Order: sequence, then C-alpha cells, then structure tokens
Amino acid sequence: MLNIKKLTICLVIMLSFITTNVFASGQEEATMMEEDSKTITVAAGAVGTEFELAQDAAAAYMEMHPDVTVEILQTPDLTTDRLGLYLQFFESQSSEVDLYQIDVIWPGDIAEHLIDLNEYGAKEYTDAHFPSIIQNNTVDNRFVAMPWFTDAGLLYYRTDLLEKYGYNEPPTTWDELEMMAEKVMQGERAAGNQDFWGFVFQGNSYEGLTCDALEWVYSYDGGSIVEPDGTISINNPNAIEALEKAAGWVGTIAPDGVTGFAEEDARNMFQAGNALFMRNWPYAYSLGNSEGSAVKDKFGVSPLPSGKNNIRAASLGGWQLACSKYSKNPELAADVLFFFTSYEQQKKRAIEASYNPTIIDLYEDSEVLEATPFFGTLKDVFTSSVARPSTVTAPQYAQVSKVFYENVHDVLTNESTAERAVKNIELDISDIIE
Amino acid sequence: MKNTHHALKKSEQKLAFLLLLPSFIVLFTIAFYPLGSVFTKSFTNERFASSKKTEFVGLENYQKLLSLKIMELDPIGMDEQGSIIYEDPIDILPRKPNRYKEVSQFSIFNKHFVFSATDPDFIQSIGDTLLFTILSVSLETIFGMIIALIMVKNFPGRGGMRVAMLVPWAIPTAVSSKMWEWMFSSTRVGVVNVVSQWFGITNGQFPWLTNADTQIWAMIAIDVWKTTPFMALLIMAGLQTIPKGIYEAAKIDGCNGWQNFWKMTLPMVKDTITVALVFRTLDALRVFDLFQIVFAQKRYSMASYSYYQLIDNKLMGYSSATSVIIFFIILLFIIIYTKMSGGVNNE
Repeated sequence: MLNIKKLTICLVIMLSFITTNVFASGQEEATMMEEDSKTITVAAGAVGTEFELAQDAAAAYMEMHPDVTVEILQTPDLTTDRLGLYLQFFESQSSEVDLYQIDVIWPGDIAEHLIDLNEYGAKEYTDAHFPSIIQNNTVDNRFVAMPWFTDAGLLYYRTDLLEKYGYNEPPTTWDELEMMAEKVMQGERAAGNQDFWGFVFQGNSYEGLTCDALEWVYSYDGGSIVEPDGTISINNPNAIEALEKAAGWVGTIAPDGVTGFAEEDARNMFQAGNALFMRNWPYAYSLGNSEGSAVKDKFGVSPLPSGKNNIRAASLGGWQLACSKYSKNPELAADVLFFFTSYEQQKKRAIEASYNPTIIDLYEDSEVLEATPFFGTLKDVFTSSVARPSTVTAPQYAQVSKVFYENVHDVLTNESTAERAVKNIELDISDIIE
Repeated sequence: MKNTHHALKKSEQKLAFLLLLPSFIVLFTIAFYPLGSVFTKSFTNERFASSKKTEFVGLENYQKLLSLKIMELDPIGMDEQGSIIYEDPIDILPRKPNRYKEVSQFSIFNKHFVFSATDPDFIQSIGDTLLFTILSVSLETIFGMIIALIMVKNFPGRGGMRVAMLVPWAIPTAVSSKMWEWMFSSTRVGVVNVVSQWFGITNGQFPWLTNADTQIWAMIAIDVWKTTPFMALLIMAGLQTIPKGIYEAAKIDGCNGWQNFWKMTLPMVKDTITVALVFRTLDALRVFDLFQIVFAQKRYSMASYSYYQLIDNKLMGYSSATSVIIFFIILLFIIIYTKMSGGVNNE
C-alpha cells in the first residue's frame, strides 16, 4: 500500500514538474518575442545563389537601419514543399515569419493571410513594374505581393544551324518552326547525328505542361483557359487547333519521350547539341553559355512563335515578396519588403546572378545590358506575358491546372482527341470552381 | 487465506494500472487524439490554413470519394477496321450532384461497359496501392528467400557480399527514387531505354514513367530493388536459428536438397517470414515517398493522394476522409494477418 502512495506522489511530482516546465518555456518565448520585435524574418528560397543574394540585401538594409535585424530563413527548394511549410505557418497564425517569398500562382490562394501593401504605400512603386504581374498579384482589389523577380517562356534556337540551312531569322509562327525543324532534322540526321531532334519542350504531366500549353492555346487566340472574369473559355476551335498542332509534333519534330520531359530534360538535350529549338525559362541561358556546353555561343533567344493573328505568348512565372498579416510589425516589414524589391536591389540581382527584374526600366539599363545582353530581347517577352488563371480560380488553381495538364497530356500521347480533351477540361473546371 | 489472496491480487492490479497510466496518457495524446481529430474533420468541409467557416457536411466527403457506377455503352457505329465504336462515356454518365468520370472500359458477353467513379484518382490510387503492395511484397519475399539461402552458406567473400547486398537498403528513399527516375528517363539519357533499345523492345524513346501501363511496374521494380535486402536480412536471421544437426540427420536419412527446403527450412522460418510479411505489407500500403518523388501529381499512392488533397488543394476535410478510408483498409490487412498468424501459433 505504501508503495502505491509513494508512486502516486512520485507521479504527481513528475507531472507537475513537466507542466511547470511547459508553462515556463511558454513565458520565456513570449518575453523573447517582445524583445525581438525589431527583428524581421524573411522566408526566402535557396536555389542556386538565392540565399546569398537575400543575405546581402539583408546586410545592406541593416547597415542603413542599425536598430533592425533582418533574418533570412531558408525554405525547401521544391515549390509544393515550400507552400506546405508556409501553410503551416499561416494555419497557426504564426508571427515567426514576417515576409514570404511566394510563387506567381499563389497570391489568390493565400491572399487572406497577407496584408494589403497599398495601405503601406506600395502605390508609388507599382507603376514601374510589368502590369501583368501587378494585376496577377491584386486579389479583390487588394495588392498582396510585390514582384521580386520574374520568368517567362522563351524560344531558344541554334544560330549556327539556322545559318547553315539558310535561315536568317528565328521562326515567327509555329508553322515556320515546324518547317525549319523538319529540314534541319533531316539534314543533321543524314549527316550522322541520329539523336538530333527539331524541338524540345516540357511535355510531362505536371505544372510545366500547363505553362507550355497555355502558350500554344493563347498564341492561337484560344484564350487563357479561364478568363479573368471567370468565364471558362477553353472549349473553342482555336484551342483545339493549337492542341492538335502540338500533338502533331510528338514523334515527328519532337522525340516521343518529350511526353516525359520537364525543364531539365529539355535543357540537357539542347545543351548537348541535340535539338534545334527549345522552349524553356530564362535560367537556361547562362547555363547554355557555361564552360563545357556544346552550344556555347551558338544559340539565341526570341519570343515564342505565334499561332494566329501575330499573337505571341509567354507564360508568366517568377516570385514575389509578401507580408504576413500575422506579423508583429507590419510597417517595418513592408519597409524591408520595398527595399528588397527596389530598383537598386533588382539591378544588383540582375547583374550578379541574371535574375530577371520586374521593373521595366531595368531592361534598358546600360549596366544590366552589359552584364546580360540577352535581357534586351526579354523586354518584349515579358510585356506579352500571360498569367496562368491562378488568381481567378483561387483557391482551387492546383486542381484546375491538374485537370488542364492531364487532359493535354492525353492529347500529346494520343490517348484522347483535342476535341474530347477541351470538353473534358471545361466540364471538370466548371465542377471545381462552380 | 482466499481473501488475502484476493486483496493482494486487487492491489497488484491497481499497481499495474498506475504503472500503465503514463503510457496510456502518452498513447492517448500521440495516437488517439490525432486519429479522433482526423475522424471528426472527415465529416466537415474544413479548409487548410483558411478563415473560411467550417461546416458539418455529414457523409458528403465519403460519398464523393467512394461513389462508383457501371453503365452499359451503346454502339454508335463502326470504324474503317470494322471494330465497333461506342458512345462517349462523358455524354451518358450522370453529372449531378457529383460528376461521374471514367476509370476504365471493359466488355463482357459482347456488351461494353464503362466503370466510373466520382473521384477516379482516389479509386485508382487504392487499386494501384493494393497491386503495388501485393506484387512488391511477394517478389521481395521470394528474392529475399533466395538471397538469404545463398548468404547463410559459407563461401569466400561472404562478408563483402553481405555488405554489397545491403547497399540498396542503406540508400535513403529520396535519393534512390531520384536515381531511378533518371534511369527510367524518357530518352536515351536513361539506361532503361538504352538497354531496351538494344533488345529491340522500344525505340529508345519510351516514357516509362508517364505511360499509364508501365508506371506501376516501374514503381514495383524500384521497391523490389530497394527492399529485398531487408527481407533477406530478416529471413537470414531466421535461417541462422535452425540447428545444423537436423540437416546432418536428414542427410543420413537420404533427403535431397528440395525435400530439405520444403520439409525443414521453410516450416522453421515460417514465423520469421510472417513477421517480415506483416512489416512489409503495412509499410507498402502506406507508401508515400516513392510515389511523391517520382510521380508527384501524375499517379498516386493512397498516402500521396491524401497529401495532394491537403497541401495542393487545401481540402482538410476531404483529405481527412481519405485518411480514414486508408486507416480502415490497413486495419483490414492487420485483422487478416492477425487471424492468419494466430492460426500458425495454434498449430
């Protein structure tokens, strides 16, 4: 009997010890928070040199404001993993992170956790940026994220081969691209390179295909899947024509395996000198010109070809900075945000690591052009960029995009006709966004 | 005398209860609380990280996940080769309240049917996961057994071979999944395409990981490669407990190797194999990393589908309902195994 009593006492003591400990640490945390209210934490990417660039920017800000500490938090490289992490912060309404680096397709999804930057004086900066991105980042008249750096689809072409086969200019229409690809492919294969193909792109069943297919459809005047006013526009003859065109490339000018290609598969093939044309993002430019690349100084970039009526499209990518609603110090956080996305900072990033600025004037800045001459071509591309319908279909964009790329993939692999696919997409999307 | 005995027993029970109490508390907080919370959430339309009001929706999530329908398709004509064209399922499948979508088509007795579901991805993920589990675990057991039988023998270089055998198991799944993704690459960058072109099976351009017919087989191949060593290791441990003497006795009695295996080795490692099987089956049923890394949104295991619904679509309630269904499927396997292993022990 005595033993049991002793044991009970023991347990009670242990339990109380544990609970007081928990309480104590809770209090500690609270006081720590108050002391650190001058700290701004930025959740930023760590792909390539991103992390160092962000730290440089933080150091520059702290030099100007010695009473503020800016900390950079590294986040996962994979986009969905990063979103998963952010959602956990938002779900617990955590004030731990003040600024978030967010993808161009997220503003609609997470707008409710972000402050309206216009209330903190964003108006004076927004005019300098590309309007399509500003529009993309405006949700229900609230401007929730400031563009930081951008991305858009480009056509890469082999200058040496076009010249060799008597072409002076890159193709301006998809038909021209097809023609050139066929001719060069025949010639190169006859010359002995059996692995040579005309055109490579992102044909795997994933978000990348949504970007590529949106460009095809849009350039054929087939709309942007779901229009900004919420109309589902995909079921139209132009869109069908565009998808049929693309399906015709697989196995003719593009390898059969292109239906399993992501960005890096396409780049590897192009960079090894085994493709005439490639659709890819700007990042492939500096890599293609690096030491050891078979196409170093042998390629150029241009806007993607048009399908109809001279429409050229480039799917919009890129990252923004947004400020959390749960931040303890939104005013200061917004100030840090404006500094990070300012002309000087974007210029620095453009020169040091060829990140594409979102400020239009930077594409005419002589120092930027000296460091990365191909930025001159990009201005037109970004001006004609088309946003994926992420803001209008939020928070269901992930589902909408999946429906789109899965059905397009079925067309590319010949499991479905373009006509049936767009019908399916229309029905499915109307179920999702109702 | 009897009374004191009784009192003693009672106090011992009390003590036992008190001693177990901390474990129960821990178990409750880490197992039952989350499970219960998932269970209750599965009846709501809760959104992840959203301020949208959560409402109780009853069985709606389950209805959307599990509604199945089989409908007959009428022929509408013939194509040039003379095979019959059937009407498009899109046109005849019901659309309200939830749209039914085609999973597959099949013919019995000259009639053509479409099998459809309101959430075809989930139904497919269940089928895929079950197929994956059954095939990969069976193959791993057979190969594991063969390797274990070789490895228990004494031969020069056995230590080195054992280490080499364990390498696939030691590589983190994230790494080996990426590695295999490259090997299955859709051009001649991938070794699988190079080899299959040598043998004339493909033209060196086969998209193994995007073609619906080969996806699951690629998954099984990766898992078998990775987990066979684990099976072999467990079975080897079982084999080493068999006394050598009985084989000598059998030799004197004139048994051949085959008889040895069926009459002695197998029955004596049966319990070990059962444990290994339970372990591997439950593991394979909740496979996540392999599917998530190689396929992302292309094809799902049950677990990666649940993740997709939560993170990409932010449907906390719906995702919880998938988790509950997964829980019951796994529970079913546990019950089957418990019954079977109970039978083993009673023999």
